[in-house]
Amino acid sequence: MDIDRADGRTANQLRPLACSRNVLNRAHGSASWSQGETKVIAAVYGPKAGTNKNENPEKACFEVIWKPKTGQIGKAEKEYEMILKRTVQSICLSNVNPNTTTSIIIQVVHDDGALLPCAINAACTALVDAGIPLKHLAVAICCCVSQNGHVILDPNKLEEQTLKAFAYLVFPNSIISLPSEASSKLRGEPLEQGIITSVTQGVMPVEDYFHCLDRGRAATSKLSDFLRKNLHLQTPNNPSKAG
Amino acid sequence: MEQRLANTWRMTINEKKFIETSLLSDIRVDGRRPFDYRRLTINFGREDGSSEVQLGQTHVMGVVTSQLVQPYRDRPNEGTLSIYTELSPMADPSFEAGRPGESAVELGRIIDRGLRESWAVDTESLCVVAGKVVWSIRIDIHILDNGGNLVDAANIAALAALSTFRRPECTLGGEDGQEVIIHPPEVREPVPLIIHHLPVAVTFGFIGKENTVVIDPTHFEEAVMGGSMTATLNTNEDVCAIQKAGGVGVLPSVIMQCLRIASVKAGDITSKIKNAVESFNTERSLRKIKRHTSSDVVDVSETARKVDIELSTNHMDRLNLLSEDRRVAQRNDMKVDCQIIQGISKRKSDAKSFSGGPSSWDPYSKGVDSDALRASFASRAVIAPMKKLQDTKVDQPINKELKQPITENNSYVPPIEPIEVTNAKLQTNGEKTLIDAIKPKHRRRKASSQK
Repeated sequence: MDIDRADGRTANQLRPLACSRNVLNRAHGSASWSQGETKVIAAVYGPKAGTNKNENPEKACFEVIWKPKTGQIGKAEKEYEMILKRTVQSICLSNVNPNTTTSIIIQVVHDDGALLPCAINAACTALVDAGIPLKHLAVAICCCVSQNGHVILDPNKLEEQTLKAFAYLVFPNSIISLPSEASSKLRGEPLEQGIITSVTQGVMPVEDYFHCLDRGRAATSKLSDFLRKNLHLQTPNNPSKAG
Repeated sequence: MEQRLANTWRMTINEKKFIETSLLSDIRVDGRRPFDYRRLTINFGREDGSSEVQLGQTHVMGVVTSQLVQPYRDRPNEGTLSIYTELSPMADPSFEAGRPGESAVELGRIIDRGLRESWAVDTESLCVVAGKVVWSIRIDIHILDNGGNLVDAANIAALAALSTFRRPECTLGGEDGQEVIIHPPEVREPVPLIIHHLPVAVTFGFIGKENTVVIDPTHFEEAVMGGSMTATLNTNEDVCAIQKAGGVGVLPSVIMQCLRIASVKAGDITSKIKNAVESFNTERSLRKIKRHTSSDVVDVSETARKVDIELSTNHMDRLNLLSEDRRVAQRNDMKVDCQIIQGISKRKSDAKSFSGGPSSWDPYSKGVDSDALRASFASRAVIAPMKKLQDTKVDQPINKELKQPITENNSYVPPIEPIEVTNAKLQTNGEKTLIDAIKPKHRRRKASSQK
């Protein structure tokens, strides 16, 4: 049975996605990602020399700065920064550039629900644009649980506020299906399959959480296709931005 | 800390000499003449009071919000205006997060002086209850990309955002007539600010030993220049503010010449801002008119009303996870291969095309080319959409008639409320025709038949 959503989507439909790379001139890598009305710009500078005192100098360090649209920076922004930093740390190859700092700056342009997933997707694209070495890409999605236990994908702000609970989930980029199984055995280390990040808000029964995970994982294959296509389409020909 | 300093960018002597030498022949590095501005584009976001300005490579975003507060003691009848500028580390590798540095403060002060001291925004109209409750307008300026001349770009962003901002209407009510009731935008139309004039900032740089004057310096030129001056003027030839904080000494005759040039440039920029604001307002009122026509079309016919709702609900493509064929990620869930969607590839959609700009897909203004539609339907022959097409065609003349007499009245129409959320102008996709609008009816009929 279909849930009636305010904008006419079904429970499994995402809002229209739009992504563009290299939107800023000074930043080493930049991307803008929008899901429906929610729009986020991400910029990446790095790697720069030196790490903070507390960080391990044998690994690359990441710092995230989250800029809200209006108002002062508060606890919520700090929490987003921390979640984003940990997510990025798990997808980046930190041994390639030790003792360096890569900064990711997120600017919220408009918030209409699913802000953190949008930001994670934008950050991932910006990292690719900057050429930071990554193990794999990450795709993020928001799943909402309604009163009668239905799982809805990609809610807008109104839905997020009125529905019972929601979860932001980040999965690794799904693999393009291989023609034969033999090639997968040849590969040395097993590919990452699990959930990278999960942030929930509100109370939901365990069953519903597992439904969210299933739906979210199904959605990531579509999101991964979109991301892959997008990254292929625009090949950067711009000169080095080290200056 | 030393490592951070090691990351700052320094200009080479070759680059400095090149800029200075080429200026002696009146040529600038990007090919402009000394008194040419870079290309200026002003875009607006979806909601009132958000603007995005691009001046060459400089990219600035302005956001205006309002709040009810207590007024200052010495000005009980006036609202307040405050400007927050933050040089985001996104804009330049040398900008640091945290407390604003002196250049951020200077930027904020120049814009503040231009707006507040020149009484550009009418603050007395922001008073609700004298001495108790007034509106406080807050302007946030986010610098996204530093390509030089942040002052001018930020000023234009602030002016554009203020011109399109609307504050909610509020009335006094309650038992004692002292309670302030804020009306949501669906009930009462929000009110624009009263702006008397637009103070435009024009920045000059003085480069080289001869103090050659250039207007609108890029960030390379800013690194080379010996001094700079910002003049804030309006079209009435009033000088609102002049800022020349230190730097190289300049003859008074040069200053007078700069002011004359600045007044010409201010006129240009003001007309650009006004044009952009006007197109935003017309397209905003078009959005409102659609809302009302769909409500008034109720008595015409039931099907017509449904079509209207679908026309307005489906401006966006849908990613349907349950549909098996997918090529480009942005597609309809209709089984038709829309060639139009191919044209709307990510290539075209860049950050500039997202925010604002007049919507180019208006289904009422574009005539439906039935031949083109039939050609795109040729791959999968679907008869049903044709019928709907006729329905929508029938509606068009009716809606066009109704558009004229409808003015922006504030009647609240409950059933149209959910559509308001989705009355989203499709920012990324340029061309859309009624093909996309037809799909949901398809879906609804299917859903209803399944049930």
